[in-house]
Amino acid sequence: MSELDRLLEGAIALDKWPLARLVRLFEDPRPAAVPEKAAAIAGLEARGAAPRAMVAGYTGTPGSGKSTLVGQLAARLISRDPAATVAVLAIDPSSHRSGGSILGDRTRVHFPIGERRLYFRSQASDRELGGMGRATYPVVRLLERLFAYVFVETVGIGQSEVEIERLADRVYLVLQPLGGDQVQFMKAGIMEVPHAFILNKSDVGAAARRSYHALRASIDFARPGEASPPPIFRTSALSGDGLDDVLEDLIAHRSTHDAEARRARDCYFFEKWVRDEYGRFGLDLLEQQGGADALLAASGSFEAAQAAYRAPVAPPAP
Amino acid sequence: MSSPNDPGPAAPERLPHRLYDADGNPTVDRPWIFRTYAGHSSAAASNALYRKNLAAGQTGLSVAFDLPTQTGYSSDHPLALPEVGKVGVPINTIEDMHQLFEGIPLAEMNTSMTINATAMWLLALYIGVARERGEDVRRLQGTTQNDIIKEYLARGTYIFPPEASLRLIAEMYEYCLDNLPKWNASNICSYHLQEAGATPAQELAFALANAIGVLDTIRERGAVSPERFPEVVGRISFFVNSGIRFIEEMCKMRAFVELWDEITRDRYGVQDPKQRLFRYGVQVNSLGLTEQQPENNAWRILIEALGVTLSRKARCRALQLPAWNEALSLPRPWDQQWSLRLQQILAYETDLLEYPDIFDGSVVIQSKVDELKRQAREEIARIEAMGGIRAAVESGYLKSQLVRSMSERVSRINSGELVIVGVNRWTDGLPSPLLTGEDGGIFKVDEAETRRTLEALAAVRAKRDPARVAAALAALEDAARSGKNMMEPSIECALARVTTGEWADTLRRVFGEYRPPTGVEGQRLYVDNERVAEVRRRAEEFVRRTGHRPRIVVGKPGLDGHSNGAEVVAVAARHCGFDVVYSGIRLTPEEIVQSAIEEAADVIGLSILSGSHLELTRQVIEGLRAAGAGDSIPVIVGGIIPKADHEALRALGARQVFTPADFDLADVMSRIMDVVEAQAGVSAR
Ligand code: B12
Ligand SMILES: Nc1nc2c(ncn2[C@@H]2O[C@H](COP(=O)(O)OP(=O)(O)OP(=O)(O)O)[C@@H](O)[C@H]2O)c(=O)[nH]1
Ligand SMILES: [Mg+2]
Repeated sequence: MSELDRLLEGAIALDKWPLARLVRLFEDPRPAAVPEKAAAIAGLEARGAAPRAMVAGYTGTPGSGKSTLVGQLAARLISRDPAATVAVLAIDPSSHRSGGSILGDRTRVHFPIGERRLYFRSQASDRELGGMGRATYPVVRLLERLFAYVFVETVGIGQSEVEIERLADRVYLVLQPLGGDQVQFMKAGIMEVPHAFILNKSDVGAAARRSYHALRASIDFARPGEASPPPIFRTSALSGDGLDDVLEDLIAHRSTHDAEARRARDCYFFEKWVRDEYGRFGLDLLEQQGGADALLAASGSFEAAQAAYRAPVAPPAP
Repeated sequence: MSSPNDPGPAAPERLPHRLYDADGNPTVDRPWIFRTYAGHSSAAASNALYRKNLAAGQTGLSVAFDLPTQTGYSSDHPLALPEVGKVGVPINTIEDMHQLFEGIPLAEMNTSMTINATAMWLLALYIGVARERGEDVRRLQGTTQNDIIKEYLARGTYIFPPEASLRLIAEMYEYCLDNLPKWNASNICSYHLQEAGATPAQELAFALANAIGVLDTIRERGAVSPERFPEVVGRISFFVNSGIRFIEEMCKMRAFVELWDEITRDRYGVQDPKQRLFRYGVQVNSLGLTEQQPENNAWRILIEALGVTLSRKARCRALQLPAWNEALSLPRPWDQQWSLRLQQILAYETDLLEYPDIFDGSVVIQSKVDELKRQAREEIARIEAMGGIRAAVESGYLKSQLVRSMSERVSRINSGELVIVGVNRWTDGLPSPLLTGEDGGIFKVDEAETRRTLEALAAVRAKRDPARVAAALAALEDAARSGKNMMEPSIECALARVTTGEWADTLRRVFGEYRPPTGVEGQRLYVDNERVAEVRRRAEEFVRRTGHRPRIVVGKPGLDGHSNGAEVVAVAARHCGFDVVYSGIRLTPEEIVQSAIEEAADVIGLSILSGSHLELTRQVIEGLRAAGAGDSIPVIVGGIIPKADHEALRALGARQVFTPADFDLADVMSRIMDVVEAQAGVSAR
């Protein structure tokens, strides 16, 4: 058995070390890693590990309790459903100009030792404003073949919501109660994306109640005339109140991207990858090669398409 | 004073530089209480030590407990085993407590116990011993440290969430008010804050805001009548630090005195000036005591002792001094004796105690005091605006302020701006003869004592009346749930021979456990030199060669609460281009291994200052092997690691060992890069 095969078998058995090393492979942005990623995906397909996860996105304001909440939800989910498996991918926005970061999300989460059905991985966002990193989508593509649920935590501050909307089957916007006279909850833009809202820290009392009404009003204002207005869940990730309601919602909407939707998702992230790596010129080349859709269809997988894409040749070093 | 108009009948002349008693006769002050913070190995061994110290002229006891006792585990708990008796005395049941105080009359003694999350339990045991001996409980005198706020911020032996912790503190005040009138139910600590990096203004502000938090809690509970509330205020005492900048420190003490007088008067309406006194004990600064040229520490300790004794108005009530070998190991009896002699010389040979306050009237001093007071008031106002001390702990604000101060401090030492003799200046010195004795100048715990402790525990479990134990624990749980005072039920637990672990587990069940914020997020270092740039360059090269950023899990295994080193290393690693996972103190080896595996770390950096480095490092490395990553994730270890153990650590598989002498962070990071590069088979050098 090759090294890669061993990793794949281990990962399918949810053995953590092989799994973690595969994640590391999928985080590798270098062109040289693309063939191995393609081989890994092919190897997983060959072993019947097709995409099966529901991908849930948890985005929201910094410090609103996303990590605590996601950790609690994951732990509850596996204890009530013996078949459930959950991977959490937490994108941490902190990045120093040195490039390093402190990956703080993990600190909030306490998973039982040796529980194979839970996997937590931190990722540094290489963007200044937070949101998803360029390694997020590739890793989700791996994890969704291995777990029943993939939870993605990102900090949402206005622009990255669109990406999480593309990535996730269901998006939750996590907010915390605001103090006193802050009436307007948030810019309209951010309110339009989520399928559901979570008002966390409901244990803080009066402010939580006031905020609930303010939020309801803001949603009505931002999304007028919606047939079924998005639910607002009031939770306390500390006491556990309200978490079961969120889980009900999650399970009720447990759908995975169908083939059609997955193609669209691949397309979107493929173009994003080309843009991030090779800029406008790269996109032009993509068009010349028939566009993302065609390339993906011809190649068989996202990673194979990355391998097939003929990238611009780097200008000679000065 | 005699006046010229009315000479009076031979009124004795009073000189401003002399002290007079109530009758107008010249007098001198009584010295403060001399203490030595001590305890190790077992109750029997510590008892022998206390008796020796008392015979040597020490006038009070200061008990150091081991970490399992402080965090509510009996000695036979898996988390406890590596730590039993290492940094203090293990106390499992009332039998251990009897043993600890054998031959020492409790009613005559002034006993200070450095105990916090389990303070109610240890006080219950102390009372239990007095009752069983037939001593007068009302005469018990001393202090339980019992300040959980500073545990969250600096010291790390917390168990329960803030609300439950404040309730435990309040109930002890309420109980002592009626039953132990001479007992200080808690001691508001700023000592540990300075050890975690606090500036003088932060020390003042955080400690005073903490005291306000405790008093407000007691007042709101309403268990103490408004008429008696001033008595509670009068029972508040403090435990303060005294650093090397001894003029400023002396001013800080005066600022404490003045601010406390104001707060007790204005906020709590206390009329009696005696109840507004700022009563405090001191341990002088240890953070600045160095591994390099350790003999220099003797001077530092002396200078720091002056800061809290020179000014009569702000003189401490009790003083304990560290020893010259502070950065090497626990002190040996001789080291403690040497420090005690310092106090005796200061009090009895010098003329210090003959004068009134020698700084009264100094414009310079008053101006400095006023400045500190202003800064402290501003910070207190900020904390109040956040909703008080509890909110400021929970939001992480206070902890991140401290980590920031600590990062600034180490940055200044690294840049040479903060001079530490023997560390970053005058580093070449002759070898110290203090280190050349047979024991290398280091204290070694007798591991055989652990067996005695475990045997004693097993014997009590076998002998006691299980029905009485069960009933006592049920009553404790009932009180905890119903809101009744838990003090009496705890005393009954003590008498029933309940164990430390059983008492704490019962309350864990009711209150849950708590982990405070780590404070490292968003922190930076203030060191930007060529060598830092070089490490960053290597990190970038590593990214190019491996496809991922070097990733370090900084782990604190075991019950050790010393977070400074781990925080500094975490912040420095980020500064140098690492992705860092740091989940705070008191993790199990399994938790650290799981983090490193799941995150595919390139290296695990353990920080251990509790003396349990051999056992804990072994557990981590074995855990990695069991998970299949034994050869893939290298482990390095830092902390208080005696030279003699470096080889043993390497034999276990540790790739590098760091000690306080490794203060140069660029160098530390460069050595970590060496390990990471070698493991990945890439090198930028
Ligand atoms: C500050 C301090 C405290 C503070 C801690 C504040 C905090 N939040 O960290 C306070 C006052 C709370 C404290 C309390 C106690 N302390 Co203390 N403390 C110290 C002291 C004075 C300095 C330690 C320090 O912070 N140094 C500054 C940091 C930056 O340095 P550092 O930790 O050594 O880390 C550097 C290197 O060692 C290395 N390093 C360390 N870890 C790592 C990890 C990696 C990966 C790498 C690469 C490098 C590395 O790099 C760092 C940067 O230079 C030492 C004595 C001394 N002078 O060293 C005693 C000392 C460590 N404490 C000691 C004891 C016994 C205690 C108590 C247990 C006492 C008791 N019985 O209650 C308590 C309880 C603490 C607990 N919960 O565990 C003993 C330990 C004895 C032993 N190991 O045998 C010491 C040695 C003092 C003594 N001589 O008795 N303490
Ligand atoms: N009172 C209360 N505090 C909470 C709750 N959930 C989380 N917290 C606290 O809020 C703080 C932030 O929690 P995190 O889970 O780190 O929040 P986050 O949204 O993941 O934060 P970032 O990833 O840094 O944006 C922590 O101190 C938590 O303990 C809650 O339901 N109630
Ligand atoms: Mg988070």
